[in-house]
Amino acid sequence: MPTDPYQTLGVSKDASQEAIQKAYRRLAKKFHPDLNPGNKQAEDKFKDISAAYDLLGDPQKRPRFDRGEIDASGAERPRQRYYRDFADAGTSNPYASDDGFADFGNAEDLFSEVFGRRGRTNLRMRGQDVHYNLELDFLDAINGGKQQLTLPDGSVLDVAIPPGTRDGQVLRLRGKGRPGIGGGPPGDALIEIHVRPHRIFTRKGDDIHVELPVSLREAVLGGKVRVPTPSGEVTMSVPKWANTGAVLRLKARGVPRPDGSRGDEYVTLKVMLPETPDPELERFIAQWRPAAAERERETTKA
Amino acid sequence: METREFLSAARIDAAMMTAWIEAGWLGPHCKSGEFLDIDVARAGLIRDLTDIGVNDEGIPVILNLVDQLHGLRRALHEVVLAVRAQPETRRSRVSRPDSPY
Repeated sequence: MPTDPYQTLGVSKDASQEAIQKAYRRLAKKFHPDLNPGNKQAEDKFKDISAAYDLLGDPQKRPRFDRGEIDASGAERPRQRYYRDFADAGTSNPYASDDGFADFGNAEDLFSEVFGRRGRTNLRMRGQDVHYNLELDFLDAINGGKQQLTLPDGSVLDVAIPPGTRDGQVLRLRGKGRPGIGGGPPGDALIEIHVRPHRIFTRKGDDIHVELPVSLREAVLGGKVRVPTPSGEVTMSVPKWANTGAVLRLKARGVPRPDGSRGDEYVTLKVMLPETPDPELERFIAQWRPAAAERERETTKA
Repeated sequence: METREFLSAARIDAAMMTAWIEAGWLGPHCKSGEFLDIDVARAGLIRDLTDIGVNDEGIPVILNLVDQLHGLRRALHEVVLAVRAQPETRRSRVSRPDSPY
């Protein structure tokens, strides 16, 4: 049902031709079906607008319409099909353009990516973690420091060993694993630490145990001795009559802990006779008749 | 269709047709004098654009954007069809913008 063409264009009855053209252009820009390919109502709207403009935009037809000689319905002319009807049809469109999404990759890639037809559902994936083994000297593990790990591809990874690192501990280096997929973050490098045993030290938890040979004289009379610890030698007092198997504790001379404190070192004494026979010691012992010697052995048997 | 039929269907004259083909607004296939229905519709669009005050500089800009828009509409249409073909469980995941998949 055609409405008043003046109303359609939104102009007054006495509007100038120029004002009518201006109104038509403004509405046509907004409602032309080819500038609104997805809006089905635009077509009807534009049909009304162009019909109104056909009447009012024509200096011959407009006065006749004003006088009532022709009506609005007569002004409707058959309209050719719009460009959008063909352009949207696809296949045989010689003007078809993929430029609007060419940066997504080609169309096949676009769809296979979106739907993972070949199992490529995870567009963004964190890279895989990589596992390495690193063998450390006993003291390097306890005191910490920098180590270099040579990877299978020949590159070198700097690994910071925290003080007090344990055998079997796994160090995680963030982002040093395989690269991510589709912009995902890289994985981590997981480094399992293997600590080589030490010649004299053993570790139990955060404590260090060491066996210290002392001379017969030191054991009997007591005195100051030098004791190795993981951070260097220290002086320790051996009390009088310290027997083999006696355990002395060196406080905070063990393994460093993350909070800055340290475990202890336990020193087990081992009384040693001189390496080479000492005739003077032999003479002295020959004159010495300890009453308790037999009893000592009895105790051991039991 | 042939040139004469094209000119009458598109309601333009031969000089306009030649100029539009020269400018690339109508495709190179039009040089052979063979026209498609889409060429008529495209010529109608160019005529409408001229009518609403778009100048010669603006026409190719609009045509290019309109063609890109149709390319995107086709692609989107395929996407919609493909989503519809998915089982409901996967479809509901596709429709959730915060889903990581």
